[in-house]
Amino acid sequence: MTEGVPGSAAGALSVPGTRSRRRALWGLLLGVALAFAILFSPIIGSVAFDPWLVLRIVFSGGGALFAPCTAGTVSCHIAKVIVWQERVPEVLLAVIAGAALGISGGTLQGIFRNPLADPYLLGISTGGTLGASLVFVYGIGETDANLVLPLFAFLGCTATGGVILLAARGRYGSVETLLLTGVALNALLSSILTIVLLYNPIASLQVDFWLLGGLGSATWQVDGVAFGVILAVGAILAIHGRELNLMQLGNDVAQSAGVDVRRVRERLLLLTALATGTAVAFTGIIGFVGLAAPHVVRRLSSSNYRTVLPGAAIAGAALLLCARDVALWWLPLTPLPIGIFTSAGGAPFFLYLLYRRRRATTMGGL
Amino acid sequence: MSLNGGPGTPTRPQAKPARTIPVALFVIALIVVAGAAVAVTSVLYTPKPASTPGDLTVTDDLGRTVQVPRDPARVVVLGPSIVDSMYRLGLRSHIVGVDCYAAAFGGLTADYSSDQIALWNLSQSMCVQTEPTFDFEAMINETPALVLATTIVSVSAVEMISSTYNIPVVMLQPATLGGIEVDVSLLGTIFGLDSNATAINQQLQVELGEATTVATNLTNSGATFPTVLVTYSTDSNGYWTFGPGTFGESLIELADATNIASNSTLPYPELPGEVVLVDNPTFVIYGLGFGLNLASYQSAPFWSELNATQNGHLYGMDSNYLTEPDPTMILEGLPELIALFHPGVTL
Amino acid sequence: MSTPDRVAPAVSVEHLTVRFDTRVALHDVSLEVRPGEFVALAGPNGSGKTSLLRVLLGFLPPDEGSASLFGTPVSDLSVRERARRVAWVPQEELVRDDIPIFEYVLYGRYSRLEPFGGESDEDRDIAMQVLTDVGLADRAEDGILSISGGERQRATLARALAQDSPILLLDEPTSHLDIGHQLDLLDRVRRLSHSRNVTVIAAMHDLNLAARYADRIFVLSRGRAYVDGPPTAVLSEDLLGRVWGVAADLRKDPRSGTPYLVPHHLIGQPRPSGIPPEWGPVHVVGGGGAASRYLRALTDQGFRLTTGALHLLDSDTEAAEALGIPAAVEVPFAPLGDEVRAAHRRLLAAARAIVVTPFLVGPSNVANLEDLAPFVRTTPTFLLTRPPGVAWDFTGGRATDLEGQLRREGGRTVPGLELLLGALGSVLETAPNRGSDSASTAAG
Repeated sequence: MTEGVPGSAAGALSVPGTRSRRRALWGLLLGVALAFAILFSPIIGSVAFDPWLVLRIVFSGGGALFAPCTAGTVSCHIAKVIVWQERVPEVLLAVIAGAALGISGGTLQGIFRNPLADPYLLGISTGGTLGASLVFVYGIGETDANLVLPLFAFLGCTATGGVILLAARGRYGSVETLLLTGVALNALLSSILTIVLLYNPIASLQVDFWLLGGLGSATWQVDGVAFGVILAVGAILAIHGRELNLMQLGNDVAQSAGVDVRRVRERLLLLTALATGTAVAFTGIIGFVGLAAPHVVRRLSSSNYRTVLPGAAIAGAALLLCARDVALWWLPLTPLPIGIFTSAGGAPFFLYLLYRRRRATTMGGL
Repeated sequence: MSLNGGPGTPTRPQAKPARTIPVALFVIALIVVAGAAVAVTSVLYTPKPASTPGDLTVTDDLGRTVQVPRDPARVVVLGPSIVDSMYRLGLRSHIVGVDCYAAAFGGLTADYSSDQIALWNLSQSMCVQTEPTFDFEAMINETPALVLATTIVSVSAVEMISSTYNIPVVMLQPATLGGIEVDVSLLGTIFGLDSNATAINQQLQVELGEATTVATNLTNSGATFPTVLVTYSTDSNGYWTFGPGTFGESLIELADATNIASNSTLPYPELPGEVVLVDNPTFVIYGLGFGLNLASYQSAPFWSELNATQNGHLYGMDSNYLTEPDPTMILEGLPELIALFHPGVTL
Repeated sequence: MSTPDRVAPAVSVEHLTVRFDTRVALHDVSLEVRPGEFVALAGPNGSGKTSLLRVLLGFLPPDEGSASLFGTPVSDLSVRERARRVAWVPQEELVRDDIPIFEYVLYGRYSRLEPFGGESDEDRDIAMQVLTDVGLADRAEDGILSISGGERQRATLARALAQDSPILLLDEPTSHLDIGHQLDLLDRVRRLSHSRNVTVIAAMHDLNLAARYADRIFVLSRGRAYVDGPPTAVLSEDLLGRVWGVAADLRKDPRSGTPYLVPHHLIGQPRPSGIPPEWGPVHVVGGGGAASRYLRALTDQGFRLTTGALHLLDSDTEAAEALGIPAAVEVPFAPLGDEVRAAHRRLLAAARAIVVTPFLVGPSNVANLEDLAPFVRTTPTFLLTRPPGVAWDFTGGRATDLEGQLRREGGRTVPGLELLLGALGSVLETAPNRGSDSASTAAG
């Protein structure tokens, strides 16, 4: 079909290769910056340790590779325990959960062509809250609270996601139907939640606290599970950039260009439910990260979903890690829910980004 | 350019259909319903009882001046700490109602431990629901002449009881340990049992004095006060404990120990796990009751790393001893703490 | 010479029926398009054009019948395979993000990429090539929101072309374009269709544009195939009347030779001004271009007209011919001959009212005024005033005298078209039936 292209003609005009290479370089730089942040964040915590000690503990793998401090002393042991058993896992969980929320938010913004979409759009968060509240109300598995609570929250999220998925498969599985199903589900689950918690003030308080989100449940085990899930899910999500790009032009157009919109949408919804469910299971409901991270990428880089998705993962990780660090640096002795910091800190930054460049983009135009 | 005259004349917009009648009907209906509601509820109002000679005027813990009948036979008591005081004063028979949660969600057992229920012979039938909503009907049903309440009862409910239902409410919420004695005396005054009250207060004084003695002995012998964490709840972030200005902290200090949360800025702070681990208190007291047991605390951060855990200096204690400001706190809670912290010390 | 094999059709639709609940969108539609053809789908709103396109794209399954692309039924193809066979340029695309045009066009390569592969250099070259083909190569790095609507439609076309599919479907591609961009886009489509041997099926509103650019026009009416053939065969006044319910004139574009239709009014509507069809004609006397606008205006108003006596090549004669108005016509430049005058007098006699336009009078047509004289008493005659200061009498005063006499004998002076219409209206009211002349000598 295509006639031979005279090399010089096309070559003289063809440019756009260098741009994506430049972007990839930026991405690499950001990734490196994030890695550094991960290594240095354990220095910040409720108790002030000597930063070099913390770094030695981190680089020694908690004492596995070499002795970071005088072995046998109580203070050394305590420092190792705190840094390696609590801070490092928390930092890693922040990164993992942030990445999960960021990439999920970006994906949903793409599917629904709505810049205000976030991972909790379809009522998934309410499902997770309901699961968690059942644990608090009925005191299920008190001994294994570390496993049971995340499990129930995860199940709540994925069950909700499953219902959405069923709606997506149905005859009327259009984007509008999905949104409405999500709204209806949200309302239904909210009311059930209210009834469950109404006569359980203690459980109600616990749920409220859990709702605000926190990294406290981080252990190496938790991180391992979360990392495995998010890596797999995130990788699959990230390679759907092209499909999402085409879907922005309209589902019909995308289909005519070769994207099996229905199937892709189902797949992506399932994956985001898994990713969000995992994040929610271990960190509660942390708002704003999933909404803002993709926009950060769009503003600083491009709207191409091949960039936005992996970029949002990195941005989300950075946002959440930042929130953790700021929270602990500012109020080391008052464990505040991290959700407060993501919103309070993220919102102004988000607004700044919005108004920085008045271009004719999604957020700019009417 | 039509032969039928000029450009079409614009049609006058149709007048909107008359909406005034349905609106008027609606407003009238509203007024009628409102009036009916007022009329119906006014039937529930109990007429203000004529003041009888011999009524006392007392000032309660919140500074309210209340006129109360002398030695009322029927009293509704809203708060376990007050029940404790009344029981010790021998006034159990006067109690016709106590505070509860809604029946479907614990009822009596949500506010009172099984020990308390057994000791004070409480039953579900005495329930006056205070949570999640105040059941005024249940309270009126008991036909009390007086209501004694702690601050678990909201200000609005207090207003309702005293103004609308015209039943005097005396708020008993001590702010300090000293306030416990004040409340005991006040109860003695109201019920004409001043001698009983004095006796109890003397007991309290004795107990407090003994604690002071122990302190002096310890100081003289050069022993150090152990560090203590008293926690009544934990989560993945840390340990909820008592800070300065609370009864819990006061008790700890009276028991001659140091609360690791004593320099906190909040009265009920949550100490991050890291802080507790670094402070490494010698003793850890965890609150029992209301569904909590040792297992509930084992998932707290660094629990297994704590010295106290590894040395077996973990003790469960009835939460009530630490939170309810009543004679039991001093007469039973304090000795238990002293025994825990300073084994072998005789009082 | 090779025996021509029957070339497999690019698109084959056989007895296709599509229903939406109770409504039938397409009924028993059959269509065959050979590779490389440019077919325009025409028809009124709701005739099924878009439905047919959607069937070909696989968005609508046939309820009966079949639709195939290069021999394979559409429903048998996977989404990817379909995209490789047929590309789509929608009427309008809502693009929100200001993506670079080059990237946007590159999106079109999706169906040609390997499952886990990226865009190769060949893909990028193709994207650049199609951009060049649509004339946007110099805007390759600009954002897609920074170009005009017409240019954006071209970019969309480029994206569809980048898909490299042998069939191209366009849905009202020129609806939102200004006239310049309309021509430009269709021009390019036709050229690219020929150079790349791409089969083009375009749903088009504008029959005239369709006639100009398409090889074939397939007309749908209420879900059924109405006519199918080359523009010259398909375009007719009858077509526009029966399918669209519009009365039109068929003309021929002298430059391109393609037919085109000039619409006038909707058929089936009461004639404007309520003139009963059996009302006798109004005769318009003119010449030299003076009568043309009155001929047109009165035709618009629904009057039946006759005119005369005119000369060939006169613009009034051409107007009369175009409007289908019977006229008494003389050979050019000659004075009006006896035959023509007789014919003219017959027309005058049959007229219900007479309008004398301010035509220039010379020796060749002064006979018109002479022939009018006997009728001015019997038939309502209206003389339009002449523009002041303009010389019109080239007969040495005879025309002025004749006109003066017409006025004295009952001819009414009307200063302009509006009042003429008003006057004709009153004639209509006072004598609505075609009565005999004497009976209808109405209020003067």
